[in-house]
Parts: sequence; structure tokens; C-alpha cells
Amino acid sequence: MVLSSRTFCAHVIIINFLLLLSCNMVYGTPTDIFCLESIKKSLEDPYGYLNSSWDFNNNTEGFICRFTGVECWHPDENKVLNLKLSNMGLKGQFPRAIQNCSSLTGLDLSINKLSGTIPTDINHILEYVTTLDLSSNDFSGTIPVGLANCSYLNSLKLDQNQLTGQIPGQFSTLSRLKVFTVTNNLLTGQIPNLRNISADSYANNPGLCGSPLPACQAPPSKSNSAVIAEAAVSEFIVCHVN
Amino acid sequence: MRWKKTELADMQMGSFFLLAILAFGLVLNVSANTEVEVLYAWKANLIDPNNVLQSWDATLANPCTWLHVTCNGDNNLVRIDLGKANLSGPLIPQLGQLSNLMYLELYDNNISGAIPIELGNLIKLVSLDLFSNRLSGHIPDSLGNLQRLRFLRLNNNSLSGSIPRSLTTIATLQVLDLSSNHLTGDIPINGSFAFFTPMSFRNNPGLKPQKFPPPPPMFQIAPTPSAKGPSSS
Repeated sequence: MVLSSRTFCAHVIIINFLLLLSCNMVYGTPTDIFCLESIKKSLEDPYGYLNSSWDFNNNTEGFICRFTGVECWHPDENKVLNLKLSNMGLKGQFPRAIQNCSSLTGLDLSINKLSGTIPTDINHILEYVTTLDLSSNDFSGTIPVGLANCSYLNSLKLDQNQLTGQIPGQFSTLSRLKVFTVTNNLLTGQIPNLRNISADSYANNPGLCGSPLPACQAPPSKSNSAVIAEAAVSEFIVCHVN
Repeated sequence: MRWKKTELADMQMGSFFLLAILAFGLVLNVSANTEVEVLYAWKANLIDPNNVLQSWDATLANPCTWLHVTCNGDNNLVRIDLGKANLSGPLIPQLGQLSNLMYLELYDNNISGAIPIELGNLIKLVSLDLFSNRLSGHIPDSLGNLQRLRFLRLNNNSLSGSIPRSLTTIATLQVLDLSSNHLTGDIPINGSFAFFTPMSFRNNPGLKPQKFPPPPPMFQIAPTPSAKGPSSS
């Protein structure tokens, strides 16, 4: 299909406009507003904590910096540094829209009623996160391997959820991790080699093993030894009954 | 008229003492100005087209009634708020004598010259906001003495040289922004700097990207059920 010169010009103008928009969005002022608007829409807010304070009608410079739970990089610039929404009774899934807060370093969603899984592409959503607290929610599913690529993590709290499966071994690459808790979940398997994390951080999980907890039992080749053991026991019982 | 020997001697002693007192007084003046004197000396160095410093009256005993400054209950200066005031001119070393200062907010102006090393004497400082000005020269090592500092924002200036290692000792540091300058060398990752990401340092072409240390050896872990291709040997 051959484009007429007019259509072609229109396309060029549109593309240039989009490029200009995206350049503006790189350091995030309009996207941070969009980020918070989207988060507000995606979460249920039964006690109205967000509803009362997050007012998007007043568009003065740095207005989102006055919102409850929002800490900005600079006082008069709409660039979110930390989001602290702890203990607000919030419901819903993990708010993926946080990805638009491209300058975010700290996220605290602890003590809420959030459910569903932790996104597998979390390292794209929270590229520069240094402190992540998802504790005391209803998150289920596995701990995504992607978290191992959040290389700037200093503190990761996942305790008091319903997370299953293993803690990804790749977590040993998190060189800045100083605080890591997964207590009170449904985790199993070998604990990764993390410096300075004590046994307390892993408590109340049904099947976690390996240092600093007791070593994992070598899993027997299931079918054979189980059958032999069962047979031995039943023979024993039969013999003695007779 | 002829002076007697003893009278001459007396006069010599007298003038010596007078000179000594004057000299002492001068020394005292330079090393321990009042807060009014410090701020007024600074005002004299500034170009203030919006006349924001109009209320800065040197005849008062303390600056607590002036605009853009805040005192505590003891009439000591704790805040200077002159962000977005269209000021030009330098920072002066005497600003380091404002020993009770907690907030120095001078962002979004045309302030030029270097950051005085004397600002490292402001040991009660909680916030140092000099961002978006025309500051040049190095970030002084002495800023590492600001052991209560929470906010250090020097972004969008023309600062050069390397990032002082002393800043990593400030355990209270929550927000660091050194972006958009001409800084060079390595980016520290130890101490408080473990909490800072490339965002704090972006747009400094001469800064070397942070390196991550190699991971510790992994224990033998049982193979996970996740799909993985056969390992190449």
C-alpha cells in the first residue's frame, strides 16, 4: 500500500509527538501521577485512607508529595521515592501500576489484605527497589526468581503470607541484602546461602531446611525404598501376629 | 612639649594594650560572628532581584523576626528557607558558624562558586538542599562530619571531582541526589551508600557504574522442578 504524502506527514508528526512525550516521561513527572492514580483505582480502599488524601484535582507542583504514604525525592517535584501504605486494610492484587513510579526505591504494603501472586516480572516493576515489605498480607504462590534481579535490595520482608515452594537459590546474588524474613509461610526446600540472616528469619515454615536450619534430608529414590520399607513392616506385623 | 621618660613609657604601654584589644576584637569578630552578622555578610555578597531579603535588618539583636529564617525556642537560627528565590552569588565560609542550623534550603537559585568546607561544621544539619544552582568545585570531605544529615541533595549543579568516601559514614542519610553534575571516579557502595541506586548518581558522565561483588558459593541444591535446559559442560 503506497501512502500519500499527506498521510506520511501525519504519521511522522504523530511519531515525533509520541517520542517527545516519552522523552518527558523518562524522568517521570507525569508518569508518577499516573502511577498513583492507577494504584488508587486498582486497590479496594475500605477505610478510605487513599480516598481522603489522594486528590488528583489540585495540580500544583509537587502535589502528590503531600499524599498520605507518599515520600518524594524533592519537595516540589512529583517524583515518588517511597510509598508507605502499611496497615490500611487495602484489598486486591499486587498493584502492577507501581511500575510507572519509575524512581521508586521503597515500597511498604505490609499489614493489608492483598492477595494473589507476587508478579514474576517484579524486577521490571520495581527495578531500583531497596526496601520491599509485603509482610502480613494474603499473598500466595511462589516467591518469584525475578526478585533475585532486584540487585539493590537491602531489606526484603515476605513474612506472614501463604507463599509456597522454595526460596529461589539465586537470592544468594543479592549482595546488599541485610534484612530478609519469610516467617509464617508455607515454604519448603533448601534455603539459599545468605550472609548474616539468622534462623529466626525462616521460622514457621513446614519444610525449609539447610543452613542455618538443620540440613535437608537426602530424598530417597521414592518408589523403591518406600515399597521395601512398607513390605518389611507388613511382613514383620504378619509374622508376629501369626 | 617634652614628655618625661616615665610618661612616655606609660603611653607606650597604653597604646600597646589598646592595639592588643583592637586586634583581639578583630580576631573575635572573624571567628565568632553573631547570626545576624553572618547572614548580613552573606546578604552583602548576594544579588537579590526579587528583594526577598528585604526584611534582613542588621540592627536587630537576632534574626528571628526576619523572613525566610526560623529560630528555635532559644532564639537560635535553625532554618534558612530560600528555595526558588532567584538569588545569585556565592555561599560564604561564615555560614559554617550557624551552629544550630538544621535546614539549609537554597535550591533552585543561581548560586555559584564552591561549597565552603566550613559547612562541615554545621553538625546539627538534617537537610542540605543546594540542588539546581550553579555550584562548582568539589564536594568537600568535611560534609562527612554532618552525622545527623538525612537529606543531601546537590543535584543539577556543576560539581566536579569524586564523591567523598566520608559521606558513606553518615548512617542517617535517607535521600541522596548527586545527579546531573560533572562528578568523576567510583561510586561508593559501602555504609549508607548501600541504600542508593544509580538514580542518585545519574547524568554524571565521568562516574564509573557501580560494580556488584561476585556471589558467594552456592551449596549443592536439589534440582528445582522449573524447566531448565541441560547444563553445558
